[in-house]
Amino acid sequence: MQIFDSFLLEAVINGILLGGILALLALGLNLIFGVIDVVWICYAELIMIGMYSVYYAHNVYHWPLALAFLACVLLVAALGALLHVLVIRPVLGAEPINQLLVTGGVLFFLQAVATLAFGVEFKNVGVSLPALQIAGMYISFARLIAFGVALGGMVALYLFLKRTYIGTAIRAISQDRGIMPLMGVSPNRIFVLTSAIGGALAGLAACLLVLQYDIHPAIGLSFGPITFMVCVLGGLGNMVGGFIAAFIFAQFISVGGYFLALEWGYVLAFLFFIGMMFWRPQGILGGK
Amino acid sequence: MRSFGIRICALAAVLGAAAFASSAFAEKEIKIGVIYDYTGPLAAGGSKAAAIATKIAIDMINEKGGVDGYKIVPIYADAQSKVDVAINEATRLMDEQHVDMLMGFYSSAECVPIAQKADAQKLFTWYNVCIASSVFKGKNLQYVFRAQLHSDQIGKAACTFVKEIAQPKLHKAVKDLRVAIIHEDGPYGSGVAAGNVEACGADGMDIVLKEGYSATAPDLSSLITKLRRARPDVILHTGYNPDITLFWRQAREQGLKWDALIGQGAGYGQYDKLHASFGDEANYIFDVDPVAAQLLDAKTLKPGLGDLTQEMITRYKAATGEKEVPPHASMGFNQAWIFFTDVLPRAIKKYGGITSDDLRKAALDTDIPVGGTIQGYGVKFFPPGTPMSGQNERSSPVVMQYLGGQTKIVWPAALRTADPVIPLPKSSAYAK
Repeated sequence: MQIFDSFLLEAVINGILLGGILALLALGLNLIFGVIDVVWICYAELIMIGMYSVYYAHNVYHWPLALAFLACVLLVAALGALLHVLVIRPVLGAEPINQLLVTGGVLFFLQAVATLAFGVEFKNVGVSLPALQIAGMYISFARLIAFGVALGGMVALYLFLKRTYIGTAIRAISQDRGIMPLMGVSPNRIFVLTSAIGGALAGLAACLLVLQYDIHPAIGLSFGPITFMVCVLGGLGNMVGGFIAAFIFAQFISVGGYFLALEWGYVLAFLFFIGMMFWRPQGILGGK
Repeated sequence: MRSFGIRICALAAVLGAAAFASSAFAEKEIKIGVIYDYTGPLAAGGSKAAAIATKIAIDMINEKGGVDGYKIVPIYADAQSKVDVAINEATRLMDEQHVDMLMGFYSSAECVPIAQKADAQKLFTWYNVCIASSVFKGKNLQYVFRAQLHSDQIGKAACTFVKEIAQPKLHKAVKDLRVAIIHEDGPYGSGVAAGNVEACGADGMDIVLKEGYSATAPDLSSLITKLRRARPDVILHTGYNPDITLFWRQAREQGLKWDALIGQGAGYGQYDKLHASFGDEANYIFDVDPVAAQLLDAKTLKPGLGDLTQEMITRYKAATGEKEVPPHASMGFNQAWIFFTDVLPRAIKKYGGITSDDLRKAALDTDIPVGGTIQGYGVKFFPPGTPMSGQNERSSPVVMQYLGGQTKIVWPAALRTADPVIPLPKSSAYAK
């Protein structure tokens, strides 16, 4: 077997595209942690709710797909804000473990609500995008879009945080939560806004995942743990770190799975993660 | 004062006698812990269908007054598609609810540890759906029984079918046939794949790839790239539902082609779900499974079983509102029906009750000939001391194919209701 061939290159490209999905997933989670110092363990379940919203808007109520996507982003943004107001705000001063447990509780709550409300059957929006065929390689168009949106989302968020007044306030709060109220900034409003933006990013991820995966109440199990590990690997709260970690992680899965059995790709990725936790427990680029 | 005391004693005596009489004439019960995955990803992969059908069987038996004076009292429990939850629920039912036996179970990953636990506690357990051979193989279980077929049989049936169609349909000698075996890596998928390797290998086929993956893996693109490189003619796939649809979607995006894809149970038994995901591309998929009872010619079965199947189908459709009745419904109903109409009456009449030992002895006496159940196969259990002790030795699978929105039997020849369409027609996006 020739080692360097088009199949290997295809595996590398697929790894990059998978990295795009993981990077988008990690973006919102890192933003929330970076600003509010709380890990939303239930982040993937918000994405699941978003995927259901696209399905019902498009397939049941026959909204155009673009409108269904817009509604999904707005809905999950609202859910993010609501999550902060109802669940996070009361435990903001509590121990981190309590904050973790309360969002873990929301995870099970959302799974149970989805099971009761939508049933256990798998839903599918039925949209199939073509693949690009280049030099004998096949590249998923849906994943290419996800990759582009992840890059665009990263740049847009960066510009928003750097170039706007609200973005500056968000960064300031993340650096010193105590001093900002003295300068007339309301941390509560900034936290709600940040949660809504984090939710909107989850909604955006839902729009892209719905093109590639069936929807069911347990879909979060496929992404939740990996997303969390990507965030930790990059440095919790560090959006650039999370972005880089997503691509490293994805290459282990894709190329590792190409040379060895698929499961070994995950084993190698987790081994790398464990090793990094010993070597750089603060993550590749450190925390926020 | 003395007379008041006498009156109180008399009243107590009357009440005590009434209570005794009431308990003596009370309906006897057999309390059964019924465990399935009602939620989580396995629910839609066939577990819920099997659970509904098992409940239909229990309801039908109770409507007839139970079994020889015993009312069936089911306690339904949800394993949530998690092995640890299944074990916890089984433990709760055994130790707190003190059930007389356990029944049900969809996932082989749950069946393996619970078989060991139930056997150690000498609690009679009757598996309805899970198929991994490893549940029984070499374990010498005494109190666990399964009328359902086992994974080695599925693995072998798939290879025998491929061997038989190699020359007439694919115009290739068996030794030139390139076969890939992919599977979810739990006991179910691994068990079927092991059966594939053994049988296809023995037939001299060229196994170009064999690989397992986690059913919850978010990405299978590496596996598909390797399959493209290996260029198989036939892919033997064992998986649940989310991984199957992910595989098909990514296979299409990555240009994977095949002459035949042969699914082996679980998610591939859910034609309506496959059709909902892939539309007409779900046509021509093969599925190796215990047969869906409604596909069999009732004339080949014991008189009355055709009507029983129809009753099950009617009730299942009424309960679910679905048009398609998957093989899992037949599995859930058939195994339960075999227990309630064959094993339990014998335990009560011949062995005097419903203790685990009574039920065990009655199960070991089971001798149902082929054609004696709604799924066609007979039932006789391998006795203790044999490698598959507790497993039905008369079970058998069929190969089905989805053709024009209908499920047809294409193997074995004796049960065939349609000629297999292979290789895949050029109209399919997956055709070579």
